[in-house]
Amino acid sequence: MSTRTIIDVSELPHHEFDTYDPVWWGNNFLLAIETSMFAILIATYFYLRQNFTLWPPPVAQLTDTLRPLPELGYGTANTILLVLSCIPMVLTDRAARRGDRHFSQIGLVIAIACGVAALVLRSFEYAAVYFRWDSNAYGSVVWFLLGMHMLHLLVLTTECVLVAIWIFTREFDMKHRVDIVTVALYWYWVVGIWLLIYAIVYFTPRFG
Amino acid sequence: MSDERAKQPPEISTSTISDEELAEVMEREKGELERTWARPRGLHGWLIDTDHKAIALRYIVTAFVFFVLGGIEAALMRIQLARPENHFLSPDKYNQIFTVHGTTMMFLFAVPIMTAFGIYFLPLMIGARDVAFPRLNLYGYYVYLIGGILLYAGFLLNTGPDAGWFAYVPLSGPAYSPGKRVDIWAQMITFTEISALVGAVIVIGTTFKMRAPGMTLNRLPLFVWAQLVTAFMVIFAMPAVMLASSFLASDRLIDTHFFNPAEGGDAILYQHLFWFFGHPEVYIIFIPALGFISPIIITFTRRKIFGHLALVLSLISTGFIGFGLWVHHMFATPIPQMGQSFFTGASMMIAIPSGVQIFCWIATLWGGKLNFKTPLLFVLGFFAIFILGGLTGVMLASVPLDLQIHDTFFVVAHLHYVLIGGSVFPLFGAFYYWFPKWTGRMLSEWAGRLNFWLMFIGFNLVFFPMHQLGLHGMPRRVYTYLPETGWGMLNLIASIGAFILAAGVLVFIVNAVWALRVGAVAGDDPWAAESLEWAVSSPPPHYNFHNIPVVHGRYPLWQAPEDAPVVRGLSTTKRETLVTSVLDAQPELRFEIPGPSIWPLMVALATGVTFIVGIFTPWAFLVGAILAGGALTAWFFGDPNYENRPGHDTEEKSETVVPPGELQPKEV
Repeated sequence: MSTRTIIDVSELPHHEFDTYDPVWWGNNFLLAIETSMFAILIATYFYLRQNFTLWPPPVAQLTDTLRPLPELGYGTANTILLVLSCIPMVLTDRAARRGDRHFSQIGLVIAIACGVAALVLRSFEYAAVYFRWDSNAYGSVVWFLLGMHMLHLLVLTTECVLVAIWIFTREFDMKHRVDIVTVALYWYWVVGIWLLIYAIVYFTPRFG
Repeated sequence: MSDERAKQPPEISTSTISDEELAEVMEREKGELERTWARPRGLHGWLIDTDHKAIALRYIVTAFVFFVLGGIEAALMRIQLARPENHFLSPDKYNQIFTVHGTTMMFLFAVPIMTAFGIYFLPLMIGARDVAFPRLNLYGYYVYLIGGILLYAGFLLNTGPDAGWFAYVPLSGPAYSPGKRVDIWAQMITFTEISALVGAVIVIGTTFKMRAPGMTLNRLPLFVWAQLVTAFMVIFAMPAVMLASSFLASDRLIDTHFFNPAEGGDAILYQHLFWFFGHPEVYIIFIPALGFISPIIITFTRRKIFGHLALVLSLISTGFIGFGLWVHHMFATPIPQMGQSFFTGASMMIAIPSGVQIFCWIATLWGGKLNFKTPLLFVLGFFAIFILGGLTGVMLASVPLDLQIHDTFFVVAHLHYVLIGGSVFPLFGAFYYWFPKWTGRMLSEWAGRLNFWLMFIGFNLVFFPMHQLGLHGMPRRVYTYLPETGWGMLNLIASIGAFILAAGVLVFIVNAVWALRVGAVAGDDPWAAESLEWAVSSPPPHYNFHNIPVVHGRYPLWQAPEDAPVVRGLSTTKRETLVTSVLDAQPELRFEIPGPSIWPLMVALATGVTFIVGIFTPWAFLVGAILAGGALTAWFFGDPNYENRPGHDTEEKSETVVPPGELQPKEV
C-alpha cells in the first residue's frame, strides 16, 4: 500500500502583519502606481517650466511687475501638521501590532483629526498660489499637484474613518489590525510624498 | 524535501496517509468544498460571481467581441482603400473608423485579453484556489466593460473619436476638436487603464503570495514570469497615459492649459506622456504572448525548454529596455540630437533580448520530434511574421530612415507585423492550446489548420504590400488617394488579403461554436503537458485544487513523484487558500478569500457615472466620489462571504468545522 506525506497547514494563522499578508502587498503596489503617477506629474511640472523665462510667470502691475511666488504660510503649516501627524500614526501602528485596542482607537481619532485639519489647510493653499488653474500652464500644473495630493489625503482620511468605525463598533480582530498597519503605511507615504511636493511647489521657484 | 522541511515554521506538521485513506477523506469533503465554492445562480449570481475563471472567460469573450468589431472596422477601411477615389466611406466616417479601430484593438482587445489569460491560468499554474483579490478582479472587469460600451455608444451616435488612437494635441485639443468625440476617447482610456492597473496588482499579488509549496521563484513557469513582468510594466507605464488623458480632458472641460502653447503649455509634452506609456504598451501586449509560446513549445516538443534562465532574463530586460524607447515615436519632433542617438541605440538594443528568446526557442525545437498540432503551427507562424516585423523595427530605429517614412503605410505594416505576428498569432495558438481546459472540448484540428493557413496567407497579403506602399509615399490615415499615384494595385491586393484574414477568424469562430456543441471530449490533460493547470479536470472545479499540490521542479507534472506530498488542512467551509512566502513559497497563512459580492458592480457603476457624466460637467466628480465612497463603505463593512453562506456563521463556528481533525497522523 503506497503512502503519501501530508503537510498539515491547519494550524497556520489567518492573518499576519507586513509581508505575510496579500493585502499589504496589494496596498504597496497601489502606492507604486501612485508614486509613478506623481513622478510623471513632477516631470511635467519641470517640463512646462522650460517654456517660461520666469516661473511663476510675472504679472504686470501699474508701475512694476510682480513675481507671484506661492505664499509659504498655509503650505508650511500643513507640512508641519502632516509631519507631526505621523506620531499618532506610528503609535497606532504599534498599538495595533501588540493588540492594544484602546490605544489604537485614540491614535486613529487623533490621526483623523489631523487628516481633516490638513484638508482644511489645503483648501487655503490654492488661494496662496497666485494663479487659478485656468490662468496659465503654471497654474494648471500646480493646482493639479496640490489637487492630486489632496485626493490622496481625502481617501486616506476616509480609510481611517472606516477602520476606526470598525474597531469602535465591531471587533478588534486580526484582519483589521492588519488593515491599521497597512493604512499607517499609506499615511507615511502620503506625508513623504508631500514633503517632495512641498519642496517643489514652494521652493524650487525661489531657488533657481 | 528534507532541508525544505527543516525550514518550515513550527505550525506545520507532517504525517503520512495511505492513498486509499486519502481518497476516502477527499470523497467525504468533496460535497462541502463544492458548496463552499459554489458559484451563485441566476442573473444576480452572474453579476456577483468572483470566480477568477468565470471573470477571465468573460474578459476573453468580451475582448474577442471587440476584436471582431475592430476587425470589421478594418475591413471597412480596406473596402474604402481598395481602389483610388472610392466613395464607400466619407472622410469623417473614415477618421472615426480608423480611430475606433486602433483604440479598440489596443485598449479593448489586446491588453484585456492578455490580462484575462493571466487571471484564468495564474492560480491554476501556481496551485492556488483563486486570485489574491477576487472582488477587485470583478470590479476591473466591469470598469473595462463600461469603457468599451462608452466607446461604441459614442461611435454609434456618430460621436466616435476621430483624432487617431493616440489623439495628438493640438488636433484633439479644444480648439480643433470641438464636441464630445475626443472626451469619449479620453474617458475610455481612464476606464481601461483602471482595469489594467487593477489586473496588474492582482497578477503580482497572486504570483508573489499564492504559489504552492515548492514552487520557488526559480521554478516559476515562463507563462507566469511573462505575466509578472507585464504587470510591473503596467504599474509604471499606465499612470503616464492616465495623466495624459486627464490633462487632455481637463484642457477640454475646465480650460486648463497643459497643452496650450499660448499660455505656456506644450503640445510635445502630450507626445512624451503618451509614448512613455505607448511604447511599453507594445510590450505589455507582446510579453504575455511570449509567455504563451514557451509552454506550447515545451508541450509539442516534449522537451525541457532550452535556456530557462536566459528566457526569464530576456523577459525582464525587455521590460526594462521597453521604457527607454518612447522617443523613437517622436523622431519627427524637435528632439536634441543626443536624445535621438540615445533612443536609436536603445531601440536597437531591444532586439537583443528578443533575439535571445527566439534562439532559445529554436534550440528547443531543433532536432526535436515535433508534434505539429495547431498551437505549434501558430507559434511557427509567429516566428516568421514577428522576425519580419522586428527587422523593420530595427530599420525604423534609424532616424534618417524614420523621418523619410514617418506616418506612412510602412509604419502601418511594421506595427501590424509586430503586433499581429507577436501577439495575435501566439494568442490563437493559445486559444487552440487551452480551449480544452476552458470547455472540456477539443477544437477541430482540421479546421485549426485551415484557420492557420487562411490567417497566415491573408495576413501577409494585407500587410506585406503596405511596406512597398509606404516606401512609395502613401501616408497613413488618408481616406483615399488619386489614381495617378499608382497605389491602386497594391491596395487592392491588401484588401483581398483582408478578407482572407477575416475568413480565417471566421473559421475559428465556427470551430469554437462547433466544438462547444459536438467537440471531442478533452479529458484533464489532452496534450500530456507539464504545468499544473493540466492536473485538474477540464473545466476545472470551482475550487481549482482539492489538495494544494507540492511542486518538485520547473515541470511539475512531468517531475511529480508517485507519492508526491499534498497540503491538507485548509477549511472546506470557508474559501481558504494557502499563502506562501515570496521567494521560497513556504506556507505562511491560511488566507480567506472573499466570495461573491454585489459591491464591485456598484463601485464600477459609480466609477462609470463619474467619468461618463464627467465628460459634460466637472460636478460629476463630486457626485461620483460620494457614490463611490458609499459603495466602498458598504464593500468594507460587508462580511467577506455573506452572500455566499447563509447557513454558515462567522469565525468561531467554522473554526470547529475545519476537518483536518479527521486527518490525525496515521502511520501506515
